[in-house]
Amino acid sequence: MSIFNKGRMCVKLAGRDAGLKCVIVEEVDKAFVVVDGQTRRRKVNVSHLEPLDQTLDVAGGSREDVKAAFAKIGIELVDKKSKQAKPRVKKQKVKKGKSKKAAKTDKKAVKTEKKTEAKVETKVEKKPVAKEAKVEKKSEVKAETKIEEKSEVKAEKKSE
Amino acid sequence: MPDGKHKSGRYRKIFVKVPGGNTKVHFRERKPSKAVCGSCKKPLSGVPRERPAVLGKLPKSQRRPERPFGGVLCSKCMRAVLKEEVREALQ
Repeated sequence: MSIFNKGRMCVKLAGRDAGLKCVIVEEVDKAFVVVDGQTRRRKVNVSHLEPLDQTLDVAGGSREDVKAAFAKIGIELVDKKSKQAKPRVKKQKVKKGKSKKAAKTDKKAVKTEKKTEAKVETKVEKKPVAKEAKVEKKSEVKAETKIEEKSEVKAEKKSE
Repeated sequence: MPDGKHKSGRYRKIFVKVPGGNTKVHFRERKPSKAVCGSCKKPLSGVPRERPAVLGKLPKSQRRPERPFGGVLCSKCMRAVLKEEVREALQ
């Protein structure tokens, strides 16, 4: 006859629940039993259990019965609350005012426009002036050369 | 000429293929010895063999097994200890 009967208090030896007290809730077969208590409710191999001398009355074998039985010994079982994921709320972009980047780009565009306008004006103003000046210079140079040549020719004739 | 520290055997050599196609020698610190059971001295499973700087960046649940005496005793020795405790309490 096995010592691992329904209601037998045990200490779990293996896994992350090792060292915790539990009670046998159900006998599956010779090797396996279902335990509950400080440990998680699960099927375990009896070789992973160390029996104690206590037995508890877990008539129905439900979680509530186990809680009540443990409360009689002075052990309170606390159920862990699993966190429920909150639904994600997506932030929608507000299109009321312009963003800083947009404002910056606008300012840059305005500056570039101004620069281009100023360049065009200066080109328009400078070019004809320069041409006129060149034309004047050329005409002056030509006139001077002509006068000089004439004067030279006259001087040669006189000397002859 | 390699530095003295690179000749002492403190660092391990790693041959790295560089983008130019050549193979270059890099020096890295050696890994620590495996963690062993405090009772039977067998190597522990579930304990990474890394330097403290790397271990510090790992989550705690990846540094050692999540059970009593995890990272100190092997599972066999841990079960023996628990059994002993329970039986002592009964007597």
